[in-house]
Amino acid sequence: MKTFLLIVATVLAVCSSAFATQCNVNPVTIPKQWITMSQGCRGAVRKQVQMEVAASVQYLAMAAHFSKDSVNRPGFAKLFFEASSEEREHALKLIEYLLMRGELTTNVTSLITIRAPEHKYWSSGQAALEEALKMETEVTKAIRNVIVKCEQDREDNDNNDYHLVDYLTGEFLEEQYKGQRDIAGKASTLKKMMDRHSALGEFIFDKKLLGMDI
Amino acid sequence: MMKTVFALACLLAASAAADVCFNDVSNECGRNTNSLALPSCNAVYGNFGRQGNVANELQAYANLHLRRSYEFLLSSAYYHNYQVNRPGFSKLFRKLADDSWAKTIELIKHVTKRGGTMDFHSRSPQEATEEKNNTIELQELESLARSLDIQKELAERAFFIHQEATRNNHKTHDPEIAQYLEEEFIEDHAKTIRDLAGHTSDLKQFITSNGGNDLSVSLFLFDEYLQKIA
Ligand SMILES: [Fe+2]
Ligand SMILES: [Fe+2]
Repeated sequence: MKTFLLIVATVLAVCSSAFATQCNVNPVTIPKQWITMSQGCRGAVRKQVQMEVAASVQYLAMAAHFSKDSVNRPGFAKLFFEASSEEREHALKLIEYLLMRGELTTNVTSLITIRAPEHKYWSSGQAALEEALKMETEVTKAIRNVIVKCEQDREDNDNNDYHLVDYLTGEFLEEQYKGQRDIAGKASTLKKMMDRHSALGEFIFDKKLLGMDI
Repeated sequence: MMKTVFALACLLAASAAADVCFNDVSNECGRNTNSLALPSCNAVYGNFGRQGNVANELQAYANLHLRRSYEFLLSSAYYHNYQVNRPGFSKLFRKLADDSWAKTIELIKHVTKRGGTMDFHSRSPQEATEEKNNTIELQELESLARSLDIQKELAERAFFIHQEATRNNHKTHDPEIAQYLEEEFIEDHAKTIRDLAGHTSDLKQFITSNGGNDLSVSLFLFDEYLQKIA
């Protein structure tokens, strides 16, 4: 153990001091004309990555709330844990897109910052579903704004990034609209079930979310 | 005499502690209101929550995993840009990111399993307040070294919480947390750390042997190797 530490420490010391290039291959440059994303469009996509990450953390907080002993809604918790991982996947998809277009050679560290979620308490499952719907609507709006920016970047000769615009429209907006419809449907069903039997309604809906038939 | 009184008092205290939820129910159900306050009918038992320490540490541990998981994700991205272009390293970091993400969710579930409330602001007093120089844009050996350090940080934090939960501290003794950490974290850490340390040893040899002339081809082949094993 100690030996490993020593090796690592020594190697690091050697690398970072006298022989700065001993440990790596010299960087090369190849022509960059193929890298064509405009600066404004790039910035918009980077911001969207951060928004997806923030959504993933917000859904974690929702899942944590419904996991509590005093709330006890494992079905809602499951739904929101899954939503959280989906948001993380969205961030990843955007990152992979940027990489394909020759981006993320610099300023990678600043791409994502983790902040504690804004909300941490919901009065009911209904309230959480409605907040989720509101959040997704904001994300949809943000994606539309990325599309607007990338379709005509006024700071860069009205550059139109056809492929990214198509990708965002076809993949991301499609998933947003489907996701919003799904949450809206759940919120409506739950609200109807809560009409006269609120405690029982939420209990049964929660078990349905768990995939249980009762 | 004194001793008998003391023992009696203890017995009373113990039995009271055991029935608190039942007492809540008895008292509250007898009242003629349309509300029930049952503050003791929760999942908290033992020392979890009472002393706060293990409970807080577990939340801080979840938050640490969350931050590290996104850092590893960025490392994975960086290693997949067209200039660095090391898909094997990228895959290695992606796996660390995915593992850390899964553990974040796992820890949040466990915090609530034990009757806790997850606080995303929780930090351990073990953590340095400001992290210095956490750029992920590092060359191969540096980023392996950083990953090794992070994995050790995660492993040693598990040891710390385990220590709080076991023999050294009667006030925070919590065997359930101790065995949970052993099973879900401590076992895996040893392998991850050993693998990363092994990778740094390999790279070290590539760098030092043959006057460093093999380095560029070695790194290429080592990356191919990482693609196969990761
Ligand atoms: Fe999303
Ligand atoms: Fe979403």
